[in-house]
Amino acid sequence: MLEKTGVATEQDLAKAIPTKERLAKGPVAIIECFQRIPCNPCYTSCKRGAIKEFEDINDTPEINFEICNGCGVCVSNCPGLAIVVVDESYSNEEALVKIPYEFLPLPVEGSFVTGLDREGKPVCRAKVMKVLNTKAMDRTPLITLAVPKELSMTVRFMKHHDIYSDNTFICRCEELTLGELRELIRKGYNTIDEIRRISRAGMGPCQGRTCRQLIMQELAAATGKKMSEMPISTFRPPVKPIKLGTIAGGERGE
Amino acid sequence: MRIEEHPILSFDKGRRVDFIFDGKTYEGYEGEPIAAALHAAGIMVLGHSHNKQRPRGFYCAIGNCSSCLMVVNGQPNVRVCTEKLQENMIVETQVGKGDLR
Amino acid sequence: MRTTEIAIIGGGPAGLCAAISAASLGAKVTLIDRNDNLGGQLIKQTHMFFGSQKQYASIRGIDIAGILMKDLDKYQDKIELMLDATVIGMYEDGVIALEQNEKYIKIKPQSVIVATGASEKFLTFPNNDLPGIYGAGAVQTLANVHGVAPGKNVVMVGAGNIGLIVSYQLMQAGINIKAIIDASPKIGGYLVHASKIRRMGIPILTSHTVKYAHGKDRLEKVTLCRLDEKWQQVPDSEFDIETDVLCISVGLSPLTELLWQQGCEMKYVPELGGHVPVRNENLETSMKGIFVAGDVAGVEEASSAMVEGRLAGLCAAKALGYIAADFEEQKNDCLDQLNSLRSGHVGEKIRSGLAQVTV
Ligand SMILES: Cc1cc2nc3c(=O)[nH]c(=O)nc-3n(C[C@H](O)[C@H](O)[C@H](O)COP(=O)(O)OP(=O)(O)OC[C@H]3O[C@@H](n4cnc5c(N)ncnc54)[C@H](O)[C@@H]3O)c2cc1C
Ligand code: SF4
Ligand code: SF4
Ligand code: FES
Ligand code: FES
Repeated sequence: MLEKTGVATEQDLAKAIPTKERLAKGPVAIIECFQRIPCNPCYTSCKRGAIKEFEDINDTPEINFEICNGCGVCVSNCPGLAIVVVDESYSNEEALVKIPYEFLPLPVEGSFVTGLDREGKPVCRAKVMKVLNTKAMDRTPLITLAVPKELSMTVRFMKHHDIYSDNTFICRCEELTLGELRELIRKGYNTIDEIRRISRAGMGPCQGRTCRQLIMQELAAATGKKMSEMPISTFRPPVKPIKLGTIAGGERGE
Repeated sequence: MRIEEHPILSFDKGRRVDFIFDGKTYEGYEGEPIAAALHAAGIMVLGHSHNKQRPRGFYCAIGNCSSCLMVVNGQPNVRVCTEKLQENMIVETQVGKGDLR
Repeated sequence: MRTTEIAIIGGGPAGLCAAISAASLGAKVTLIDRNDNLGGQLIKQTHMFFGSQKQYASIRGIDIAGILMKDLDKYQDKIELMLDATVIGMYEDGVIALEQNEKYIKIKPQSVIVATGASEKFLTFPNNDLPGIYGAGAVQTLANVHGVAPGKNVVMVGAGNIGLIVSYQLMQAGINIKAIIDASPKIGGYLVHASKIRRMGIPILTSHTVKYAHGKDRLEKVTLCRLDEKWQQVPDSEFDIETDVLCISVGLSPLTELLWQQGCEMKYVPELGGHVPVRNENLETSMKGIFVAGDVAGVEEASSAMVEGRLAGLCAAKALGYIAADFEEQKNDCLDQLNSLRSGHVGEKIRSGLAQVTV
């Protein structure tokens, strides 16, 4: 089936997945490379010797899960981008999946993205824990995602915006969705005032009463700041929408 | 359409220059193939075939297939996928086999 | 007339390695390419290459070109570069005719290494000449060399390595791939490439082909259909996809015109992409002093093209009396590398093709 669809089957994967016990111990490389092709950088890049020496350059990689410590060096060296690192020891509910991601924009640490399976189907919301992009990685950055534990062998890629965000409204008045807000934050609008100016969120008839808190929460999540430390938006009178005439008419009231 | 950001590449472009395509002025980068400049300006039809008058775009982009012949500065049968753009070049669609002037 | 010891036609990975190996032995080399830059196909390959360290595995094609160019610089005094120079003829008396800056130049070399690479195959379906229907290499050149998007949406025809890789690269440039289709029931390219594209949600439709292209002045829509095991259309299986670009990547054929002109013995070997020259272990053709290397000798990979280039350079230099002290060792190293590159499952086709033309 893999030959027909490009998607590894459970049978293929059985060879690549370590035991539950090993997974529970911590990070480990999952190498999803099942065809004999002339290629060996996984072997040559692993300094720990976790991948068995290739007798023939066409060999498929054989990894010793006990030696592999999930360092991730092989991940950005694999021309097939066929390796991820999975860490099931991360927490009770979540596992970390470290994927290679050669696209722009890079996700922002702390933000949420959508985890995709091997067919590109959205399967979960995933938090971006780390974005590593060193010179040695040569333009193949590694993204660490926190995903629900039961999906550690399912999530293999990501896309921006999480699946819930596109129809989730933050600012009802100005119709700003969560997805759009996250995109703004990604572009560097990092205070509530900047977001207000660029998107008008918070400037609708409710004056931000419905959305201000939500925007700040999202900002806090993305920037890692505490709510209490964040600059609050400038409040301008009137605090409640009134008819223009009310002001124009002055205090006398006719 | 120009590719503005790229995860692997950075494009070093030449100077921005004007050129004329069928009477109208367009902008491109000096030294890039004429076909690339036209394409970036949204022009994909480079000419029409001489017998059946079918629209023609480029095909191989490396000077192999001759699908992209145009009249450049009065000279017909120029392969614009490899010919480099220069300032104020006059590029015209070619009608027929291109009379040698 | 100008003379040289070894003329190398084509400055792709094969030609570059040939020039480096021949010049390093002391031969005087003239390296000719019709582009204004060296590197051939490498200059648009933004992905990491396969192979082993000897063939620069894990390094991006664009950077491999840079590494080879640096090596070439070491032999500046031995190598004459002729860029923007197209070889237009090779005559039986051994004279090479080329055009450079609208000038006609003749060169008489003592031997020649032809490393002209390959050109893209075309596909037949109604309206296949509409603007917007491009070769995959063309799209790659436009996007990766010139920074221009071929369009908004692309349907890729061909799930070989080139179709898969170019699709991935177009996605990196922000262009949407609607589908990759292939008439064959199996994906021809490396499955790791296919898997990485599937993860992005791009469908790969095997057993599918293009039935019709629609559009007035340019491509607007394609009609696809499904094929059965006998490669016949499944009735009523047509469906349309709107797209402004259809990218054709159904294989390459060796650019052999010059070898025909020379009178080299040729043979039709579909496994190698079409007509290819008969050659011996040293990559010498039936015409003495005419060597071949890279895709022109059989469409393969840059990794093998580099090794073939080195081997051809070594042997052409030897024929002129520039003999490496460790010639046999170097030659065997090349042959070993080639064997191992070709020994896998995917190399099967290449092996059977080469068996037919190696004497
Ligand atoms: C999309 C894509 C992805 C690929 N990925 C890989 C990969 O991951 N790993 C890998 O190993 N290989 C890969 N390849 C294959 C590899 O690029 C080719 O096999 C390799 O470039 C062949 O080298 P070459 O030197 O024979 O030919 P080329 O690189 O094609 O070079 C031939 C040169 O000859 C010049 N020339 C031709 N005719 C003339 C003439 N008459 N006068 C003057 N100059 C002339 C051309 O301008 C060109 O510069 C890929 C190819 C493509 C298209
Ligand atoms: S993750 Fe590190 S230790 Fe494990 S195989 Fe890869 S390079 Fe080796
Ligand atoms: S480097 Fe990647 S593609 Fe190459 S053999 Fe190893 S796992 Fe497979
Ligand atoms: S597009 Fe093929 S020669 Fe210009
Ligand atoms: S396609 Fe027939 S000569 Fe060009």
